Amino acid sequence: MKKLATYGVKPHDAALKADGKQWSLMEKLLLGLTLDQYIGQVLRNKLNWVLAIIFAIGIPVIIYRFIFSLGAVTHASYDYPWGLFLGFGLFCMVPLSASGFMLGTTVEIFGRHDFEPIERLALLNGLLGYFFAVVYLLVDLGQPWRLSYPMVYSFGPAAVLFLVGWHVATYLSVQVAEVSTAFFEWIGFKRGYDFIRKGTVGLTVAGIILSTLHQGALGALFLYAPGKVHPLWYSSAFQWIHFFTSSIPAGLSMVICVSTIVIYTMKWRCDQRFIDNLDRITISLAKGAAMGLSTYLIIKLIAVAHDNEWAYLATGWGTWWLLEIVGFVFAPLVLLSYAIRHKLVGLCRVGAFWVVAGIILNRLNTALITFNWQLYQEIPHKFEIIISVTIFAIYVTTYRFILNRLPILYKFKPQADE
Amino acid sequence: MVNAGKQLITGLGVLLLLAVLSTSCYAMDYPDEVELDSLADLYEPVVFDHAMHVDVTENCSECHHHTTGTGVANEYCAKCHTGDVEMDVVACQDCHSADPVSIENLRNPQPGYSYHNDQPSLKAAYHLKCLGCHQNVDGPTGCEDCHAKTEAGDKFYRSGEFAPKEPAHSSAH
Amino acid sequence: MSKITRRKFLAGSAAGGAAMMMTPAKKAFAAGSFEGFPDGMGVLVDLTRCVGCRTCEAACNVEQKLPEPALPFDDTSVFDEMHHGQKRRTTDKAYTIVNRYEPKSADEPLYRKIQCNHCNEPACLTSCFVNAYKKTPEGAVIYNSKVCVGCRNCMIACPFHIPAYTYSSVLNPVIKKCIFCYDTRLKEGRPPACVESCPQQVMTFGKRKDLMVIAHERIKKNPGKYVDHVYGEKEVGGTGWFYLSNVPFEEAGFDVNLPKKPIIDNVKDFLAIVPMVLTIWPALFTGFHLLATKGKSHGHGDDNSHDKQEGH
Repeated sequence: MKKLATYGVKPHDAALKADGKQWSLMEKLLLGLTLDQYIGQVLRNKLNWVLAIIFAIGIPVIIYRFIFSLGAVTHASYDYPWGLFLGFGLFCMVPLSASGFMLGTTVEIFGRHDFEPIERLALLNGLLGYFFAVVYLLVDLGQPWRLSYPMVYSFGPAAVLFLVGWHVATYLSVQVAEVSTAFFEWIGFKRGYDFIRKGTVGLTVAGIILSTLHQGALGALFLYAPGKVHPLWYSSAFQWIHFFTSSIPAGLSMVICVSTIVIYTMKWRCDQRFIDNLDRITISLAKGAAMGLSTYLIIKLIAVAHDNEWAYLATGWGTWWLLEIVGFVFAPLVLLSYAIRHKLVGLCRVGAFWVVAGIILNRLNTALITFNWQLYQEIPHKFEIIISVTIFAIYVTTYRFILNRLPILYKFKPQADE
Repeated sequence: MVNAGKQLITGLGVLLLLAVLSTSCYAMDYPDEVELDSLADLYEPVVFDHAMHVDVTENCSECHHHTTGTGVANEYCAKCHTGDVEMDVVACQDCHSADPVSIENLRNPQPGYSYHNDQPSLKAAYHLKCLGCHQNVDGPTGCEDCHAKTEAGDKFYRSGEFAPKEPAHSSAH
Repeated sequence: MSKITRRKFLAGSAAGGAAMMMTPAKKAFAAGSFEGFPDGMGVLVDLTRCVGCRTCEAACNVEQKLPEPALPFDDTSVFDEMHHGQKRRTTDKAYTIVNRYEPKSADEPLYRKIQCNHCNEPACLTSCFVNAYKKTPEGAVIYNSKVCVGCRNCMIACPFHIPAYTYSSVLNPVIKKCIFCYDTRLKEGRPPACVESCPQQVMTFGKRKDLMVIAHERIKKNPGKYVDHVYGEKEVGGTGWFYLSNVPFEEAGFDVNLPKKPIIDNVKDFLAIVPMVLTIWPALFTGFHLLATKGKSHGHGDDNSHDKQEGH
């Protein structure tokens, strides 16, 4: 893309062409390039080749799973009914997607329009994260075609998963609505855009409610397994609070991570407003993440004190827990605080990646690694790993496809410049 | 197949030597051999060498509780049963029901009466008594040490000619 | 009584949370059927009697029409089988299994039969989001494969590691577990196949509350024989199948750290916040919005006229 820019080719970023004509859908999809130019830049991009290799291996494995059953791609474990698909796909993707409701709240509810340049990226991050969490779920469910049963056919209203199901489904619709403004702009459907904009506050408040509940509910799911999750990762009083509070730094850090990747690899797509504001916003987001992280750290420690689990710290599991808390909560917190104080954007970004890694570690610890700590540990089947990576690659591809096109990183102009 | 209950009831029709003799015998008048066949289904009937067991046990009450008039082995039973009265019935199956542990069999004859309310069924009475003692005195304890498996038994246990042909590998490859 | 009220409340609150956006008739399904059945049947398992003959396993296999086992049921080599360092457990092909333990406090090995314990308030049931499980008045915990989506939360929730899943099925994978022979026997008042087949009457079948009396009497009538505890009387809110042992239960492979309350009690704190969030959040955040944006331009460029109205 950089190369094309040197040739004076500009990507599509306005409702009308410079000459005042409408863009056709095909032209929009090709980013305003000609087909040859488009294919040329696709082939030049090395990431595309990496993705192509992943798809070449992974897509057949996904098909294999649906032809030869779940037992063919997992260890079919009775003791580990939830493997990597949910352990990573659901329990990690959802907190990392908490960005949508947080930035939505900041901008729409608290009126902090200085965060506006990144709001849409945060909303999109939320939408895609949830959507792909559902994709992971569909791969993992024994009978995915019955996904709608808890909504329409047979109700288990006292189950936490019932709440998660309903809320994720509802929240997905809310997020689709929130992101749809960008789509309506891009496709040129002014009335749809206006209609959704009118309901923004309502949608955002709905997003806060649904997020508070289901981020917490994901934690509450483990309350069903008091003996199975290691006591250091389990807290009957605080489990849902842990999951909820940690989703705040998770979501904010994820936005920093994505914006970092974007600014280094897709700068052509960002408009000046985004580029100029990003450093300032990154530090502000890091501030939010650091605050969330410190709250989380305190509640984690309170939970250990509350259940008087200090003795476990002397065990091997305790060492692992300390590694997570010191190495992936406390250390990034210190780093972020330092970076914020000295306004070091680069360090904030490092810290954000660190936080994301820490959240993933925490969720995997709760769902897989320390689960059944009294029985045995299980390493996921190789096909399970391949499928998880492949779905993540599809997520990245979709993410990029949308960022390339919809006015997420740039503001849609009524008419293209000369 | 597994419906031992019906088998037990039909098996009751079979003559039990012990049952006939027990009604008219005195303390030292006992059968030398008893064929325990009322429950035979998965296993062949047991030909019980009663005389031999009389020789190796010290007292009839070890098996017959308080019914033979030769004392009471269990202290708990001795609270009521003095053990010097011979009962009309001494055969296992006269007290222990051959019916499976069904709701009816568990029902207390007299509400609030907390004795004889935890009585094993006939099959369990045999096994608990025989096996319980054999384990203590190093008697034979394997199933087929006392009774050979029938064809129905082989089918039930998937053993002998009904054994799984090759170790079935778990279907999750 | 208060218990029932609480459960209905919890069920209602979760349902309310779920139905908040699309509200049709949430009350209709708000009442889960969790009431314990005091006249439900149970089984008293006396571990001191078990000799490890595996007849119950064979009986279960025949009664439930399960697939052929890997080894004959009279083969005792299975007691040495280990998977991931664990003794055998229930699978989709074996709803009950017998394991051998070598307790420290006894010279003899101890055998223990494992199957669904048919909890009074089953965690599988309360964790199921399509209500596939049912605790019948007769005491069985049964499962409806027709509505099961296959999330396997019940397997996560079961404190006894009982439900198994037919992972190898492509089109209709389902949960498989002991159902107390509900369809073929319990419904008609007959004991399950394993109980009936047992030569040692390790298991005694009857009304749970009657059996509980017998269990305690057995401990009393045989001083020194049993440890003074009935496993399953209180564990996770009480189970339909409960156990007597001559050795401490942890030596027989039981999880002695299970809570005395039903698993669902763990979750109630969370479920209780649901209505709070649902009612307070909208007002709170709309209020924040009004305060935060008072007198300010919204600066959305093309759109300054957005409505402060609630969207739902």
